Amino acid sequence: MDAYGPDGSVGTAPYTGLVPHTPKINQQLARYGVKFGIYRDGAFTERLFPFDAIPRIIDAGTWRTLERGLAQRVDALNAYLRDIYGDRQIVRDGVVPEDFAFASSGYLPQCVGIAPPDGIYSHISGIDLVEGADGTWYVLEDNLRIPSGASYPLIARSLCRRCDDTTFRRVPVVDNRDYGARLKAVMDHVNRGGINVVLTPGRYNAAYFEHAYLAEQADALLATPDELFCEDGRLYYRDASGMSRVGAVYRRVSDEFLDPLCFRPDSLIGVPNLMAAYRAGSVAVLNAPGNGAADDKGIYYFVPKMVEYYLGERPILSNAPTYLPFYPDDLAYVLDHADTLVIKDVAEAGGYGVVFGSSLDAAGLEALKRAVRAEPRRFIAQEVVDFTCLPTYMGGEVVPRKADLRAFVLSGATTTVWASGLSRYAREEGSAIVNSSQGGGFKDTWVLSR
Amino acid sequence: MRILSYSFETALEMSEPVREHDFLLRCQPASTAGQTVLSAQTVVTPDTELTAQVDGFGNTVLAGRVAAAHRAFSFLSAGRVLVDRAQTVRAPAHPIYRRPSALAAGDDAIAAFARDASGAGAPAAAEDPWGTARRLSGALHGAMAYEPGSTATTTCAADAFAQRRGVCQDYAHILIAALRSLGVAARYVNGLVVGDGATHAWVEVHDGNGWRGIDPTNDREVDDAYIELARGRDFSDCPIEAGVFRGGADQRQSLHISVRDQSMRA
Repeated sequence: MDAYGPDGSVGTAPYTGLVPHTPKINQQLARYGVKFGIYRDGAFTERLFPFDAIPRIIDAGTWRTLERGLAQRVDALNAYLRDIYGDRQIVRDGVVPEDFAFASSGYLPQCVGIAPPDGIYSHISGIDLVEGADGTWYVLEDNLRIPSGASYPLIARSLCRRCDDTTFRRVPVVDNRDYGARLKAVMDHVNRGGINVVLTPGRYNAAYFEHAYLAEQADALLATPDELFCEDGRLYYRDASGMSRVGAVYRRVSDEFLDPLCFRPDSLIGVPNLMAAYRAGSVAVLNAPGNGAADDKGIYYFVPKMVEYYLGERPILSNAPTYLPFYPDDLAYVLDHADTLVIKDVAEAGGYGVVFGSSLDAAGLEALKRAVRAEPRRFIAQEVVDFTCLPTYMGGEVVPRKADLRAFVLSGATTTVWASGLSRYAREEGSAIVNSSQGGGFKDTWVLSR
Repeated sequence: MRILSYSFETALEMSEPVREHDFLLRCQPASTAGQTVLSAQTVVTPDTELTAQVDGFGNTVLAGRVAAAHRAFSFLSAGRVLVDRAQTVRAPAHPIYRRPSALAAGDDAIAAFARDASGAGAPAAAEDPWGTARRLSGALHGAMAYEPGSTATTTCAADAFAQRRGVCQDYAHILIAALRSLGVAARYVNGLVVGDGATHAWVEVHDGNGWRGIDPTNDREVDDAYIELARGRDFSDCPIEAGVFRGGADQRQSLHISVRDQSMRA
C-alpha cells in the first residue's frame, strides 16, 4: 500500500496523524536508550536508530500467506537442527552435502547429542524478507542465533499510540502488544522447573534496552552473568535476597561466550558449566547453542529443500534465486552471468565476502570467475532482487526508500508469527543496504486485520 | 590384550584462597572399541557433588563447583581398564574430523609436508589412510625436535611446525593437520601410557573402517599400553581439566600418575 501523493505529500494515508509526532517519538526513544551498537574497523560505536512514523502496511491476505510460509520455514529449520546434531540423515541422503553442512563455524560439535526440551532449537527466529517489484516476497536471510529487534516496533507502536490513539481506533491494525505474552508462553513451554530469566551481558551492552524491555514484557527476571551459577547440574539465580532455580534462560549472549568451560575460555560474560546443566536437561536455553549451523550463507540455499525433505510440503515462501557452483549446471550459469549476480564467499576467513558482479571491472570479474572455478564449493551466487520502496518521511518530505522486513517467529507448543515486525529502510535513495550499521532507520509494521 | 590399572592425581595449590570454583574434568576413561573400563572412580577435594555426562565428542566429563573458599584443589582418578586395540568397530567418522579446527588448522607448509611425506608412488591417502598416517608420522618424527617448554597449550600446528620443535600436543596437532589436508579424518587424544609419568597426547586416524591410534611423538602405533581419556578435534576440545574461580591467586600444579600392567602373564 503506497499511499502517498506524487508530490510527496502524505495526504490522507492511514498514518497521516502520526507523521507530525516523528521528532517527539524519536526523542522519547533516545531517552529510553533505544540504540544499537556496531563494530567497524575494529572499533565499537553506538548509534541511535532513527524511527520513521510511516509504517509498512501489510494487508490481511498477504499476511496469511506470509504467516504460513514463515511458520513452515522455521519448522523445517528446527527439524534440520535436530537432525544435524543427531543422526545427520539429510547429509547421508545427499540432500545437503557434507561440505556445506559442516563448513559453518556455527556448527558446534560440543552440542552433539544434546536433546533440547521438546526438540526446539530456534525458539525466536528472525526471518528477513523483502517484497520484490513483482509483489513476490523473498526470504533473504534466516536469523536463528539470537535475533534482535522485536523491541523496536513494540516500543515504537506504544509511543505512537500515546501520541495519536485515534489512528489506531480508525485503522484496523492488529495489536502487537502480545509479544511479551508470546515470549513468556514459549519460555514456560520449555521451562524445566524454576523461574524464567533473560541473561544480558550487562547494562553497557548496546542492546541492553531490548534485554531489559523484553524481560519486563515477558515477566522474566533480567540477570547478569554474575547473578547466575551452576551447581549439581542445575542453573541458579541469586541476588541479595536468596537464590532460585532457573528453568529457562533466554540468553542474549552469543554461543562462543556462553560458557567458558565449553566454548571460549576467556569469556567473562558466560556462566561456567551452563552447557553441562543444559545437557543434563535441567534448564532450557533459548535459542539453543549451535543454531548457527542452520542460518549460514551456505545453508540458505537448502532451506526450501529442507521443507520438502522434513515436512513433505512445497515451500510457500521463495528464496531469492540462488545458485551453488558446487553443482555443474549452476557453475556454468554463474560463470555466464557473473556480471549480474551477487556472489558470496561462504569460507569463514580471508574470503571475498559479498561481491556484486556489476561492481567489478573486466579484470575483477575474471579474477572472481577464476576463484569460483578453482573452488566452486566456497561460493554461492544470487540474483539481485529488486525490492520495493516504502514512503519514508525524511527531511520534511516523503521520499521512497527500499526497506526489508524482519518477521519474528516463535516456536513453543506451536509455531506462530508475531503480527508485526521490524522494517528497516536504507538511508540513501536507490540503496538496497538496509542494515542499521549503514545509517538507515526503522519503521513499525502494521498487519491489517481485514 | 592387557588389563591396566591407573591412578592419576592432580593437585592445585593456590597462593590465596579462591571461591566459586567451577570446573570440568575429563580425567575418567570411557569404554570404546579398543578399551573397556572395568572400574573407574574420581574423587575431588574439597568434596563436592559431581555431574557426570558424555560430551559431544563421546568423552566422560565431570562437572562440579566448590563454592566455599579454598586454597587446595585436587582430583584423583583411578580404575582398571581392559585394553585390546585389536578390537575395532566399524563406524563412520563424523565429518568434523576431516575439517580444519582451531589448533589443528594447518597451513601451506604443513600441506606441502603432507604431500611430500605421503611418498611418490605410494597409494593415495584416500585408498590407504593408515599407511599414509604411518608414513607421515615417520617423517614428522624425523623433522621435529622434542623440546619441553618450546610451545604452550595454545600453540597451533602451523606455529609449532614452523619452528620444528614442540611436545606431544604439537606433534599430534601437526599430524592431524597434515592428514586432514589429504582428506583423511583424524582426531586428537589425551591419555595415559604405561611407564609414563605425565599425560600424553596422540592421534586417531580413521582407516576407512574405524579409528586407529598412532603416536607421532614416539612414531609408534598405539597399542595395549595406552589408555584413552578424552578426544576431540584438537586439544582445545578436550583438556583434562578446565576451571574458573573468583580470587586472584598464583597456582602451583603437581601431578602423580601411575599406570601399571595387571594382566596375568603366561
